[in-house]
Amino acid sequence: MKPVELEVQNLKKSFGERLVLKNVKLKVHAHEVLALIGPSGSGKSTLLRCLNLLEIPDEADLIWEGEPIPWQTMPESGRNSHRQNMGMVFQHFHLFPHLNVIENILEGPVQVLGESIKTATERAMQLLKRVGLEDRARCKPHELSGGQKQRIAIARALNMQPKMLLLDEPTSALDIEMIAGINDLMAELALDGMTMVLVTHDLAFARDVAHRICFLEDGEILEDGPSKEVLNNPKSDRFRLFLSQCRFL
Amino acid sequence: MRICLLGLLLFLGLGQAEAAKSLRLAMSGAFQPFSTTDIHGQLSGFDADIAREVALRMKLEPELVQTDWSGIQAGLQAEKFDLICGSMAITEARLQTMHFSLPYYVSGAQVFVRKGIQSLSDLRVGVTEDSTYAHYIQKHPALFPNARILVFGSEAEIVVAMNTGKLDAFVSDRIVGGFYVKKAGDTGIRPFGDLLYEEHCGISARLDSQKLVHQVNQALLAIISDGTYAQIYEKWVGFPPDLKALMASWSEHIKQIPSLGQTRENRQKKAEFATGAQSMLPLLLEGLGLTLKLTLITAFFSLLLGALIGVMGVARNPALRALCTGYTFLIRGTPLLVQLFMSYFVLATFVNEIAGSEIMGAFSSALIALIFNTAAYNAETIRGGIESVDKGQWQAAKALGMSHQLMLKRIILPQAFRSVLPSLANNLVVLIKDTSLVGAITLVELTYAARSIVFQTGEAMTPFFLAGLLYLILITLLLMLIRQLEEKNA
Repeated sequence: MKPVELEVQNLKKSFGERLVLKNVKLKVHAHEVLALIGPSGSGKSTLLRCLNLLEIPDEADLIWEGEPIPWQTMPESGRNSHRQNMGMVFQHFHLFPHLNVIENILEGPVQVLGESIKTATERAMQLLKRVGLEDRARCKPHELSGGQKQRIAIARALNMQPKMLLLDEPTSALDIEMIAGINDLMAELALDGMTMVLVTHDLAFARDVAHRICFLEDGEILEDGPSKEVLNNPKSDRFRLFLSQCRFL
Repeated sequence: MRICLLGLLLFLGLGQAEAAKSLRLAMSGAFQPFSTTDIHGQLSGFDADIAREVALRMKLEPELVQTDWSGIQAGLQAEKFDLICGSMAITEARLQTMHFSLPYYVSGAQVFVRKGIQSLSDLRVGVTEDSTYAHYIQKHPALFPNARILVFGSEAEIVVAMNTGKLDAFVSDRIVGGFYVKKAGDTGIRPFGDLLYEEHCGISARLDSQKLVHQVNQALLAIISDGTYAQIYEKWVGFPPDLKALMASWSEHIKQIPSLGQTRENRQKKAEFATGAQSMLPLLLEGLGLTLKLTLITAFFSLLLGALIGVMGVARNPALRALCTGYTFLIRGTPLLVQLFMSYFVLATFVNEIAGSEIMGAFSSALIALIFNTAAYNAETIRGGIESVDKGQWQAAKALGMSHQLMLKRIILPQAFRSVLPSLANNLVVLIKDTSLVGAITLVELTYAARSIVFQTGEAMTPFFLAGLLYLILITLLLMLIRQLEEKNA
């Protein structure tokens, strides 16, 4: 078994009165692609955001590479450096509209990590080439299509050289013809050994690319296992019902 | 419907009939003991009593109008009232634009000085705007060698300025000055030297109201003859009138009584607009210069301060947020004019006392009030701009590991500024117009310059029209500049 990169235990999170995560336990191994699936409102996005403390949990034990993260007591700067371990990709991209493409990709390494513009730019250009947009470096985000925006958002996350990528429904806001391109890009990253935690509604992609699937409902993980196994032999009735409603498999 | 209209017509007709029977007399209400506004908002004082008595003798209903001294002549010309019964001294210049009744009292101009002042050189001297005292000092610079002349709205403010160390001396009516000094208590302010000149105050009317002036003269004669006048005089001034001197002044002014046959036209009305405008421009441009200076300095610093306070409004520390809310609440909840007076009469006095010298004058007082006022509005605008930035931007920046400050500086503020630029431009326009209030603390900006031309010439239209035009040009130019900035940033 590959080493555990990130582990979370006893994760509880509520918004007001509503408990959205009930005692969740999750391990993410190095070079693993983990897909979080489940109906809307099951808490999968919240779980993802708790991993990099974008949402602050009510309770949780966070362990990064075997070291507990004292997130309750550490200063904000400590949380910030925890966040730098993992890049995040959003459903709605959230590119910085006042910066052009290359500036978006440079912002993190130069401003947060204090890298020189030269080295950060060299890497940024390679990333742009990799996502197939090296000719768009000087464009403003509003000049790009949705698919192009998401490629830039992935490049922006990767230029921080994170150990893990968190992806929150990265293809849900895209037109159908754009989805395949982003899926291919993520599959390539997976082949290169990038650890990824992915919230998705795309079961075909989860089956083909993810190593493991976790099924969430009502703030609890009901299924957790190798993707094909989980999809072919659902253990819980609720997961079977969920699958029967997703007819595209 | 018809009945309604009829009713309305009847109502309007009645209103007019009533107006025809009343006589509207204006005074400043800030020239004790001659005129003052009491706590019920009623005008009282020597002028008020004389005005009422004169109207009654003319068989008209007296209607007293309280008007700022600075706008009193323009108000008369604009037919806002029929007569000025407000201790206006009869002068050659004023006789060009108004008719005067025979004098209704005789007084004189007196210098008053602060405790310990032995000579009249190197002093800060206060006068009320457009007073005969202001004109006299201007014409006789030798009286106060090397002086700094500060112009105030009323005698009451001058005495406050004396008591707070902003003035060394002032010139006013001997009775009025004496009254305020007595009222201010044991402050050591005292008359200095003899009367500068004697003054004869009359009731003034428009040049087309000769008949009214004759009626006023008759009424004055009547109240002097039957002893009413002496009674009123003693009640307010404290000692009996010198009727001999008053009568002597009448013989001096007898030639000014307008003849009933011919109508003298207002010379200013005849004057060519172009030549009039040309002679006014230098003073107006000087005022524009001060307006521009105040605007630019305030715009710069209020933007910095506003950004700081606006950012405090979205800080994670609740104490900082409360500070921001309290500040904007306090500033936006009080009028700028009050803030100007606070800055000039309270803050500057305090600062100067501590420093032991006058390091904070009218200009810096105005700047401080304007900067703190505009900053509150800018802060609210900027805070709103920050809150309008998409929440996803905060998340994306946070996910990159940015600190709160870095996030604000690099991601949030640049976007917020872009979205609030039109609102900030709007605040700037409001600021330009707000600078017109600093005239209240002796600064001659554009509006004040226009007003002082109105005092000097008695004509209201041209100077106000020109001032409005200059404001319009200034605001248009600034807005064009901002438009360019917006396009460059888009």
